[in-house]
Amino acid sequence: MSRLLFMSFIKPNWRASTSIKLGNHINTLFPPSDCTLSRNISFFNKLPADDIWRGVTAVSNAGKKRGRGKGTGRKVAKDLNKGQTIGLGKKSCIWPGLNAPILRGNELIYQQKQSENEDREKNIIQLRDSMGNFKLSKLNPIDRGWSGTKMPGRSIGPPDSVGEDSFKLFDTRVLENKIVFIMKGNMGRKRRYSVLSVTGNKNGLAGFAIAKAPEVRTALRKSKNRAGQKLISINLYENRTINHDFYTAFGKTKIFVFKKPEGYGLVCHRAIQTICKVLGIQDLYAKIEGSTNLQHIVKAFFIGLMRQKSYDAIAKETNLHIVERQVAKNGFPQIKASPLLNVNTSEKDRIIDFMQFTLGNKIVLKKKKIPPYFVNSKGHNIFESKNERFRNQQNVRLHKLVNSYI
Amino acid sequence: MLILRQLRKLNGQQRLQLGVEQTRRSMADAAQKNASFQYDKDPQPLFTDAETQRLLQSMTQLQLEKVFRKRTVPDNSTETKFMTTAQLEKEFLQTIEKAKKLLQMPPVVQIKQDTEHIISKDPALKDFADTKYVFTDITFGLRNSERKIVVRDADGTLAYAPLETRKRMNQLYFPLEGRRSYTPRMFTHDDLLQRCLDEHKYEFVLDRLTVQYEPYEAEFHNFSAKVFAHLNESKEFDLLRSTRHFGPMAFFYAWHRCIDDLLYDMIRRDYLHNAVELISLSYKIHQVPVDYKPILSQLEALKPTPAQRALAELLSCLKKPAENAIEHEIQTAIGKTEQDFAADEISLKFIEQYIGSKHALKKVQLELAVQTLKEVNLEKLQLYQGLKKAHGVQAS
Repeated sequence: MSRLLFMSFIKPNWRASTSIKLGNHINTLFPPSDCTLSRNISFFNKLPADDIWRGVTAVSNAGKKRGRGKGTGRKVAKDLNKGQTIGLGKKSCIWPGLNAPILRGNELIYQQKQSENEDREKNIIQLRDSMGNFKLSKLNPIDRGWSGTKMPGRSIGPPDSVGEDSFKLFDTRVLENKIVFIMKGNMGRKRRYSVLSVTGNKNGLAGFAIAKAPEVRTALRKSKNRAGQKLISINLYENRTINHDFYTAFGKTKIFVFKKPEGYGLVCHRAIQTICKVLGIQDLYAKIEGSTNLQHIVKAFFIGLMRQKSYDAIAKETNLHIVERQVAKNGFPQIKASPLLNVNTSEKDRIIDFMQFTLGNKIVLKKKKIPPYFVNSKGHNIFESKNERFRNQQNVRLHKLVNSYI
Repeated sequence: MLILRQLRKLNGQQRLQLGVEQTRRSMADAAQKNASFQYDKDPQPLFTDAETQRLLQSMTQLQLEKVFRKRTVPDNSTETKFMTTAQLEKEFLQTIEKAKKLLQMPPVVQIKQDTEHIISKDPALKDFADTKYVFTDITFGLRNSERKIVVRDADGTLAYAPLETRKRMNQLYFPLEGRRSYTPRMFTHDDLLQRCLDEHKYEFVLDRLTVQYEPYEAEFHNFSAKVFAHLNESKEFDLLRSTRHFGPMAFFYAWHRCIDDLLYDMIRRDYLHNAVELISLSYKIHQVPVDYKPILSQLEALKPTPAQRALAELLSCLKKPAENAIEHEIQTAIGKTEQDFAADEISLKFIEQYIGSKHALKKVQLELAVQTLKEVNLEKLQLYQGLKKAHGVQAS
């Protein structure tokens, strides 16, 4: 009852307002109750669907030349007819001859209303929503690369087998994926994708290659297969790290690589990390000095790996024993290699340092850390002197917790 | 069914009774042992005696891979170095010295009794405070044992601090690394210690004991006796070989006349000269009128000391294959030299003599072990001689 009243209260008002608004243009002689206003003509029904869609999705000519309207975020025309059939609409009716036969046996079928399907409209909207905009498929955290859904760092599987050579135990990882341009005489600026990837069997065999192609997928495939054809064998120490520390450089990129004990992990640039992973190196520290150009890092690192010497070769070259001392073994000297000839050395001979020898007399630049601005301030000094007596508190607490003496 | 069930019930009761009896017996045994496992007189003069030390060191052996085995440390880095042959030889000597230091035995001494020593009684100072006052001389360079620590009681008496207070004050001002101010839980809770022992972590327990307690403390004696008793039951003596605790352990068994299990283990592992040393030690401690000295000197002439042997092992990797390579190869293949065979013969005689005497308790077991060893040795000797003949190596 109340609803009816409300409606009746609104209706006259609305009519009055329209009549007032339109009063200047249309003949006001007509009584307001008979006037049903509607604008049946708009660009929606004047233009064909293609033209309307072009208005939404098109890119200007200048933009097209620059490569706009491609890639992610591209608007696509939706097929609005999808999910709809002729004869089935908002009001589900039986239309003889359209969606039902005219005669059923001897009986004539009449136009008839049926119960409304409430989900129909919702379903159509859902279908349209899923159609147009491109959705990113969610990546499994294990499959992710260095950053987001970007290719660098991601695995693209083993190279395709060539004839009988199959790369079963190999894994390929993308190191670089970028767009490069070249100028062509007739086509002008031509864009291609350049992919640098590294493949390896996690057991000392690895290769890397760069490949370019107009499509990302082809570039990935090309670089992967090319890397499989350029394998390099590298001797690993205890199947987990490099033979010895080394210095290596390519262009302006200088890398100092250090052999590390078991359990250290890979502490280095992410590209070196990825290479080590496909090679089977588990413990290593590398410091890059100079340029961090990715292709140069990869090339320098591979050159360094290839230039490593075996302990026997070093002992032969220097005529000295190579001894390894482990802290965990209380400094027990273990002979790793001995020279073939026993050359008598006098006390005066200077024995070179092993690390100095392997790094080729290079030294890592150790930059001084700049202390924070507050270090010598009065407040900080007070804080430090107040805090001094609590310096061992954490350990004591921990011990108490462990031994539960409380 | 009913009969079966009754039978089972009966069995269960029997087993229960048996179990109770067994535990009672074992408890009684343990109590007896604990009562007897004290040094009735001061063992220190016998233990620190040069000959005893030599015997114990020889029994301990020096297996380099065990002394320098990989331990769990925060820093597991390695250092690679270039070395000349001369440097390496020097390094090996230092390594042996280091190993000797690592194998230094904790001394076996009498339990120190606490004695009250009053300096002065000042009744005038009575009730000067509610608590005792401890005065510690923290002069730099003093030994912990000679540091003066005195206590002023609330009733005014000034006295030298008891041992417990001394230890606590010393730990407070000059903390020993690894020693805790509070007793570690494994020494306060019997079940925790028992768990360690059941897992055969003898070395760990003994190491911790050595850090936490002084050798003259009663706890040190009690716990080490417990460990050695458990070890004698489990017979895992090899766990302590080449550690600093093997000597005190052998001394303990020799003192308490229960060397037979250790002896059996030594014979089984073909450490015959060690067996002779153990028997000699036992004779020495209990002043048995058997002349063991000539045999020991004979063996000494034939067998190198553990340190010499370890050094030879280290130096062997420096040597190039020489002309008598085949003989060396035969020796390494069989694991024994001619001298070893000679030493074995002397030792076996002495051991058999011991087994035949009234001192041996597990005669049958020991005899069997000796017999099998003899057979194996004979086979080895034949093989050794045959190989030598086949390769045309002159008998030296």
